Amino acid sequence: MAFSGALTLTDLNDFITPSQACIKPVEQLNPPEELKEPGAASTEIVIDSSGSYYEVSASGPVPNASTKTTEKKLQQAQISLNDCLACSGCITSAESVLITLQSHTEVLNFLESNPPPTSLSHKVPVLSIAPQSIASLAASVSSGSSSAVSPGQILRRVQAFCTQILGFEHVYDTTFARHIALLEHTQEFFERKRGEGKLPMLASACPGWICYAEKAHSEMLPFIARTKSPQQVMGTLVKSWLGSTWGQQPDQIYHVSVMPCYDKKLEASRQDFYNDVYATRDVDCVITTGELELMMREKGWDLSVPVNDEDAPCHNHSAFPELLAHPGTSSGSYLHSLIAAVTQASPDPLDLTVKTVRTSDYEEYILRNRITGELVFKGAKCYGFRNLQNVVRKVGREAGMQVGRGAAGRMGYDYVEVMACPGGCVNGGGQLKPAVRKKEDEEGYTRSWEDSGVQLPDPSEDAGTIQGPKWGNKEWTKEVDKAYWHDLPTPPASPTPEIQAVTSLAESADRLALRVKVDLCHPKNVAGQSDWASAMDQGAESRRRDLFRTQYRAVESEVVGLAVKW
Amino acid sequence: MDVDLPYELQLVTDLRGHEERAWQIAWNPVEPLLASCSADKSVRLYNYQPSNESLKFSHIHSIPTGHTKTVRSLAWSPSGKTLATGSFDSNVGIWEREGGHDGDEEAADWECMTLLEGHETECKSVAYSSSGTLLASCSRDKTVWVWEVHPDSDFECMGVLMEHTQDVKCVAWHPSEEILASASYDDTIKLYIDDPSEDWFCFSTLTGHKSTVWALAWSPKGSYLASSSDDLTIKIWKRVAEHKWECALELKGHERSIYSISWGKGKTGEESLGWLASTGGDGKINVWDIREPPESSTGRVLSHKLIATLSSAHDVSDVNSISWCPREGFEDLLATAGDDGSVRVWKVVPSH
Repeated sequence: MAFSGALTLTDLNDFITPSQACIKPVEQLNPPEELKEPGAASTEIVIDSSGSYYEVSASGPVPNASTKTTEKKLQQAQISLNDCLACSGCITSAESVLITLQSHTEVLNFLESNPPPTSLSHKVPVLSIAPQSIASLAASVSSGSSSAVSPGQILRRVQAFCTQILGFEHVYDTTFARHIALLEHTQEFFERKRGEGKLPMLASACPGWICYAEKAHSEMLPFIARTKSPQQVMGTLVKSWLGSTWGQQPDQIYHVSVMPCYDKKLEASRQDFYNDVYATRDVDCVITTGELELMMREKGWDLSVPVNDEDAPCHNHSAFPELLAHPGTSSGSYLHSLIAAVTQASPDPLDLTVKTVRTSDYEEYILRNRITGELVFKGAKCYGFRNLQNVVRKVGREAGMQVGRGAAGRMGYDYVEVMACPGGCVNGGGQLKPAVRKKEDEEGYTRSWEDSGVQLPDPSEDAGTIQGPKWGNKEWTKEVDKAYWHDLPTPPASPTPEIQAVTSLAESADRLALRVKVDLCHPKNVAGQSDWASAMDQGAESRRRDLFRTQYRAVESEVVGLAVKW
Repeated sequence: MDVDLPYELQLVTDLRGHEERAWQIAWNPVEPLLASCSADKSVRLYNYQPSNESLKFSHIHSIPTGHTKTVRSLAWSPSGKTLATGSFDSNVGIWEREGGHDGDEEAADWECMTLLEGHETECKSVAYSSSGTLLASCSRDKTVWVWEVHPDSDFECMGVLMEHTQDVKCVAWHPSEEILASASYDDTIKLYIDDPSEDWFCFSTLTGHKSTVWALAWSPKGSYLASSSDDLTIKIWKRVAEHKWECALELKGHERSIYSISWGKGKTGEESLGWLASTGGDGKINVWDIREPPESSTGRVLSHKLIATLSSAHDVSDVNSISWCPREGFEDLLATAGDDGSVRVWKVVPSH
C-alpha cells in the first residue's frame, strides 16, 4: 500500500482547520535597549505567577544577584477589536470576541464602578431600547398571561427596572432616532434619484447585511444607503444633542442600547462611530433583548408585574416622543417611508401594487401613475440570507459586474429593504426564544429522562412528524410581530382617532427632528428651515453628513496561501 | 488473489492529459460524452464510439475553465446540455455548448454562461436534481446551497442550508424526488426537502459513521441511499417511511478512506437493486451486487455480494472518483479519476 502523492502547497485543502492563526504582526514599540552580544545564546520566555511574561536568558545558570538584569519583562501583545475587524483571517472568532466584550456583565460592572454623580468622573448612564426588543418582551410576557401587554406598558416596566434597580438615569426607546433615520434616508434616496449616487438604494440598518456585504460583496457597497442606522442616530442624539442640553460631554455619558440583534454590537464598535476627540463611542455597549431579560431574572425583577402609572399615555418629561409608529414593516419601514414620500411628492395620484415573490420575506412594491400608468417607483422588501443572495446577484448583474450573459430577470428596483434575518428584525438573533417544553421536573431540576432510565417516545418514530424549518419559530415571529403593532393596525385602513393621534405624534416628531437638525448642524439660514429636507448652507450640509451618515469599506481577505495552515 | 468472483474489471482505456490530479468524472446522460476535471483547472471532454466490440474514446475538447483554483467537481444536467463545475475558488460555473451541434463535437465551444457566487470557501461538490430544475452545491464553509435553474442561464438561490458543523463533502439528489442529501466531515448525512411556503430545510440527520462521510449514492430507484466514509465502511440506508431512513447494511472492503461510490443499474436483472461501485485511498475498486431479501425471509438485512474487485486501479495513486455510465446499454461501464491525473474507463465482464 502506497501513500498518496506528497502533499503540495497548491490549493488542495480537503483538510480543515477551525480558524486561521492571527497574523497581526507584533509591533515593537520599544527598541531593544541592550545590544546582544554576538552569538548570544537564545532566550526563553517564562510566565510568573501574576501572569506577566519575562524573557530570560537561557545561556546557563546565572547567579541570583544578577537575575534582574537577565530577566526582561515583556510587553503583552495586544490585539484590538479594530485589528480583528480589519483582518478577515480569523474573523469569526474576532467577531465572537467583539460580541462577548459587550455583555450584560460589562454593563453591570460599569454601573457598579461608576462614581457617584457628585464626582467629576461620573458618567450619566443612558439606556435606549429598540421597539423590536420591546415587542419581543411584550410577546413573551403576554404568552404567559391572559391579557396582552402593550409595548407602552413594557417600556414603562423596563424604565422602572433600569432606573430603580440598575441605576440608569435615562431610558428611551429608539423610535425617535428611527424617525430621524427615516427622514435622512428619504433625503438620501431623492439625492440618488437626482443622480447623486447609485440606484437601487439598499437599506443600511441591518448590520448583518453590512458586515456580509463588506466581506463578500464589496461591489454592493456603492448601493447601500449611507444613512446611519437608528441605533447610531440614537448614539448621536444621546451623546451630542442630549449631552449638550444636559451640559455633558460625550465621554461623560455611558450609553447602552438594547437591540434584537447580536450584530448591532459589531456596528457599535465600528471605527466610524468612535469619537476621537472625546475617545468615546456613540453607543458604549450593546446588549440583546435576551441579555436584558437575563439581567431582570438575575435581579429578581418580574416583568409581568405592572408598575405605577404604566398606562399613562406619554411621559411629558421625556426628551423624545415615545414609541413612534412607522407603518409598514416591523423592521423599520424603510421601504414604506419611501413609498409614502414618493407618493406625496408626485403631482399625480399613484397606485400601489404589491406582489409576493414566493414568501412574505420577498415582496415587490410598485407605484404607477394612476393617469398615465407610468412606472414611478419599484421597490422590494427582501429578508433572509437566501433572498439577500438573489438581490446581490440581480443588482450585480444590472450593474454589469456579473459574469454571464443572462438578460432575463431585470428587476429595475429603485430601493430594496434588505434584512439578513428571515422575518426581519422581530426575528433577530438576540430576541427571546419562544417558550419551549419544560426540561425541568416538578421540583425545578433539570433532568435527563433517558439517563434516569425513563423511556421517552422517539420523536422520529412517527413517520409523519419531521423536524421543522430551521430559522426560528415562524409562529413565534408572528406573535412578536403582533406585539410590535399592538397599538396600531397596519397598514392603517382609514383615518381613525388613533391614527390621528399617531399623525399628530409624527408631526411633533418632525418638529423636534428639525430642532435637532438646527441645533447640531447650525445652518446660517435658521429661519428658512421648515423641515428636515430644507436645504442648508454647505457647512451645515457637511455637518449633517458627518452626523447622520456613515461609510463602508471592503474587507479583503489578507490570508494568502502560504500563511494558511490547512 | 481475487478468488472466484463472477466478474472482473477490464481496462477499456487510460485517458491521460490532465497535468495534475484528476478529481472527478461525469458521464453525459444523453450523449456519448465523458467529462473530467482536475487540479489543473481544466475540464476535458471525451467522445466514445463502438469499435471492434470495444469502445474508442477520443479527446475532443478541453475547457480552460477560468476557475482560479482546482476544479473539484462536475455535474451534467439531465438534458445533457449543461455542465456545472464546482471549484476550490468557491464558485460554481455553468457551461453550455456554443455551435458545433449535430454531432460535430470538435467545432463546439464551451462557454461559461454564468458563475454562481456565494460560497465563502472551496466548493466541494455540485449536483443537478432529476428534473434539472435545481442545482445543489456544498462547501468547506459548511453550507449547502440550492439554486433554481431559470431560463437564459439565470439562477435563483432557493436555500442556504447551514446544518452541518463541518466541511460538506458531497451533495446528491434523489433520482426522482426533490430530496437532497449531503455528507460531511462532521460524520453525518443530512436530508433536505422544500417547504413550498417556506425555505428548504433539513428533515433528517443520519448518524452512524464514525468518521468523515465522503460520498453518497442513491439506488437507481431511490429507496436506498449509500454512503461511504473514512471509517472504511459503506452504509446503506433504507427508506422505511416517507421521511425516514434507517441503516440496513454495512459493507467493508477497503483499507483506506472510501472517497467515492456510484450505484448503477448493473446487468444482473430486475431482482437486483443494482451494482454499487466504490473506490478510495487504497486504490482499489470494489463492485457489489445488492439485493433485497426475498419476501419469505424474515430478516431485514439486504443481501450483498462482492462481484468484482481490482487493486491498484491507478497504480500507486489514490482514486478520487468512480462513476457508472448512466446510458442504456452501457450499464457495465465505469470510469475512475486518480491522483495520477489519469481517467480510466473499465468494463465489468464475466470472469473466465
